[in-house]
Amino acid sequence: MSSHAAHAPIDHHHDHTTSTGIPNKKLLMWTFLASDCMFFGMLIATHLVYRLHPPPGAPAAQDIFSIELTSFSTFILLMSSLMMALAVNAIQKGNLKSMRWSLLTTIVFGAIFLWCQVYEFDHFVKDRNFTLTNSLFGSTFYTLTGTHGTHVAIGVLWLIMMYVRSFQPRDTAKDRTWFLRNVLHVAAVTGVVLFAMFAVLNLVHVIQAGTGLGAFFSGSIWLLVGLAVTTAASVHFAKPRGPVAFDESNAIDVESMGLYWHFVDIVWIVIFTAVYLLEYV
Amino acid sequence: MSASASTAAHDHGPDENKYQLYVQIAMLLAVLTGIEIVAIFFPFAPWIIVTTLVVLSVVKFLFVIFYFMHLRWDKPFCTILFAIGLVLGGGTLWVLLLLFGAQDSFPLTSILD
Amino acid sequence: MSMDASVKTHFTGSEAPAPTRAAVFWRPTAKTGFVSWLTTVDHKKIGFLYGVFALFFFLVGGFEALLIRIQLAVPNNDFLTAQRYNELFTMHGTTMIFLAVMPLSAAFFNYIMPLQIGARDVAFPRLNAFSLWTFVAGAIVINLGWFMPDGAPDGGWFGYAPLTSKQFSPDHSIDTWVMGLQLLGVASIAASLNFIVTIINLRAPGMTMMRLPVFTWMTLVTAFLIVLSFPAITIALVELMMDRLFGTSFFEVSNGGMPILWQHLFWIFGHPEVYILILPAMGIISEILPTFSRKPLFGYPIVVFSGATIGFLGFAVWSHHMFTTGMGTVATAAFALATMAIAVPTGVKIFNWIGTLWGGHLMMRTPMMFALGFVWMFMMGGFSGIMHSAAPADAQQQDSYFVVAHFHYVLIGGSIFALLAGIHYWFPLMFGRKVSEFWGKLSFWVIFAGFNITFFPMHFLGLNGMPRRTFTYDENLGWNAPNFIATVGAMILGLGIFVYFAVMVYTYFRGEKVKRDYWDGRTLEWSLPSPPPEYNFAVTPTVHARDAWWYEKEHKEEIAKEKAEHAKEDAAHGGIHMPFQSIYPFVTSVGILIGAIGVCAVDYGHKLPVALAGGAIMLIGIYLWAMEGNEGYHIQPNEEDLKS
Repeated sequence: MSSHAAHAPIDHHHDHTTSTGIPNKKLLMWTFLASDCMFFGMLIATHLVYRLHPPPGAPAAQDIFSIELTSFSTFILLMSSLMMALAVNAIQKGNLKSMRWSLLTTIVFGAIFLWCQVYEFDHFVKDRNFTLTNSLFGSTFYTLTGTHGTHVAIGVLWLIMMYVRSFQPRDTAKDRTWFLRNVLHVAAVTGVVLFAMFAVLNLVHVIQAGTGLGAFFSGSIWLLVGLAVTTAASVHFAKPRGPVAFDESNAIDVESMGLYWHFVDIVWIVIFTAVYLLEYV
Repeated sequence: MSASASTAAHDHGPDENKYQLYVQIAMLLAVLTGIEIVAIFFPFAPWIIVTTLVVLSVVKFLFVIFYFMHLRWDKPFCTILFAIGLVLGGGTLWVLLLLFGAQDSFPLTSILD
Repeated sequence: MSMDASVKTHFTGSEAPAPTRAAVFWRPTAKTGFVSWLTTVDHKKIGFLYGVFALFFFLVGGFEALLIRIQLAVPNNDFLTAQRYNELFTMHGTTMIFLAVMPLSAAFFNYIMPLQIGARDVAFPRLNAFSLWTFVAGAIVINLGWFMPDGAPDGGWFGYAPLTSKQFSPDHSIDTWVMGLQLLGVASIAASLNFIVTIINLRAPGMTMMRLPVFTWMTLVTAFLIVLSFPAITIALVELMMDRLFGTSFFEVSNGGMPILWQHLFWIFGHPEVYILILPAMGIISEILPTFSRKPLFGYPIVVFSGATIGFLGFAVWSHHMFTTGMGTVATAAFALATMAIAVPTGVKIFNWIGTLWGGHLMMRTPMMFALGFVWMFMMGGFSGIMHSAAPADAQQQDSYFVVAHFHYVLIGGSIFALLAGIHYWFPLMFGRKVSEFWGKLSFWVIFAGFNITFFPMHFLGLNGMPRRTFTYDENLGWNAPNFIATVGAMILGLGIFVYFAVMVYTYFRGEKVKRDYWDGRTLEWSLPSPPPEYNFAVTPTVHARDAWWYEKEHKEEIAKEKAEHAKEDAAHGGIHMPFQSIYPFVTSVGILIGAIGVCAVDYGHKLPVALAGGAIMLIGIYLWAMEGNEGYHIQPNEEDLKS
């Protein structure tokens, strides 16, 4: 509870103020995750029970699912898990810059996962007539994957908050606009990601259509301008104006958040197999 | 307890190795996921494929909890704590599947017939 | 409840907050008054609040029961309509379980457990406050129906599908039941996570796990039961709500749904829930019997181990509530076997309590009366329970008044007796006043008599075929006399409860004041002044043995030397570190309350804005909670506390 002085080396694996040596927040998070195992266990049980005893006329999953899309989003979530582990590793060594980059990448990958899931749901509803209410399979599928997606969204929100927090100056009285600047920074980064995504999409279309790079540049000039502007803005707004109140002693918070994020990933490992892959067997 | 780099045992490897280790594990997880995705198209009996998928998922699961989530280097109590939730959740799930699969719990006639 | 006004509070220079904090981060410092209650993070005040709310709802639930008994006093009665009757038995069960027994247990977990382990507070004080206010929010939501035209929830406390589906329960009443329970679940899980971390990580030096008081052990096991079983009902309720609000088919037979799934998910929670209700009570009894027998608890390790075993096995027996649903012979036999097995550790505990009494110097004071009543009455409830575990016999007993008799014996004769005992036992510690022996014992005997007169006849009613949850009965079924007797008994029980409450309220304001360690206790909470100061221990104790306070009393010199050394160390650190108070747990709970009301009580078309507004307030509360920092401040202990 009292802030550690920066000069005493922090042992991130042992907290001498607790009876077991395990930091309180870590113990709290592990206990919560044990609880969340039961939570997802019951949802997965519902889904599996109903898939093993389907009503007549149940839709065939193989006609609905797009295993390529889901594989892509699985891979993305896996990479976000790696980035999260690297972020924790970085802050435990006091490397703030590396932590911020890793955290940002985690956020971007998490957001891509969510976007893929939204796209997937939209595709199922519009093109495959597979909705929440028109079949039991839909009820269990959307509720289960939607609950997982909600967990991811909460995680992304938490990660963004932690990212912004890592810019909080030590003396908030001197630097009153820090919060606004960081909100703008996050907005600019969002812009970078979106512009980059659409530019890449355009590039892919151009390559597929074979119309040549010149066509790409003329068709995407505003995207590229936007990309340049938002990149510059994000760099500008991120510059801290003084020492920040975030260092190695905050590692426990990043680590606890990391545990939550990894858990969301391992639940997806189970869901990917049990809900998607097993339908093809 | 400050981490001294050179003579540390396997438990607290030098910091550089942790970074590399994480990246290597991520690559491994990606490969395992790739194997899972192609496995469903193998021309083997369903039970072989299901077993393969389950085993691969379990391996991925264990790598994430022991390495990314650091259980390997933490106090065993954290592992025990999580295992309680996992075993209870998994066990209840298994019992539910058995209960709903038990032949003598099926109605003799169905309103859907 | 008087806080120690002589405590000196000062902010040490290096811990002072930044020169200008934003106005939104004001630090509430009031120690008395309304705001101090809304912003408190002190486990003792939070425990007190849980107790006050629990006792209020205990009276509400009791009133609901009296109405039920009046309706059933005579055959073909029309005191209540069938609809009203359904609402009353639903709310009686829900109120007693979730709003009376659980929070009363939580009151003791909060107040007593940190004192027993030698801690200054729980691991996450603001999370503790959040649990309390979310509990209050859940209590409000679940009782909204009384004030709405749709009426109170009427689907039974177990809400079986498809009765609770939109088709058969079209109005808002079931929605308020669902959302209220979800809020209560969030509160319970958050509190239990807190208690687990506290007991595992905040023990005083020397307080090994096998030196913990049994009440603290039972707190730990109960907390594990809560965090592992509540997710099941959370999911069941989510699925029910999805069916009701969004048209999914989880329990919709026409689309392939199976209502029996609701029963499984509910009872996967519901069975551990009854152990959640009884284990704290067993913990309280395990404190009272040794104190009033002037002997240590007999067989401490086995009592602890039995408690943990009951908790663990409690997850393996849920389908004994479903013996008559046609699960098949194998499943039925398996669950019957597991249920019988769970009687073993329970019986072991009873033998150990008897062993504690045996050869002891018994002090027959009021807490001891309730505790002895517990042992006997709980045993009787256990006997009818073991009768249920034989599935063929249960085929007759299921859904009859025999079950009602069983669970009231274990819940009133068990949980309530123990909680009433605990109130008497710890009253002198919490309020520095003693309850009159005469009035305490009188209330016990009236309660004891009334309780047995009410529920013993129900065993016979059940075996003679009277079904549960029916608002009236015909006069030629042979049920008239026992029902009438039960109603008379209920009135006597009500009278006993009234006397008990009147005595408590009187004693709180005008009771005779007492010094510390009124009962010559064995565990650390009794080492503190009555009432304890805000910081609990002037010096964190060092524990040398089980029954730590008893050891301290037997080794006064050794302890005095230790304390003097530690006091010097504490003073060198700037004093005792205390957490800041905060308004944000309360704000977050208010947001959740509004959001829940949006989901369940508001009509279609207005749900979304209200739910979103509530969600926004909740997010703001969480964000400011996360940002306000938890540096805390330092306090110097009182001179008298240092010398004690």
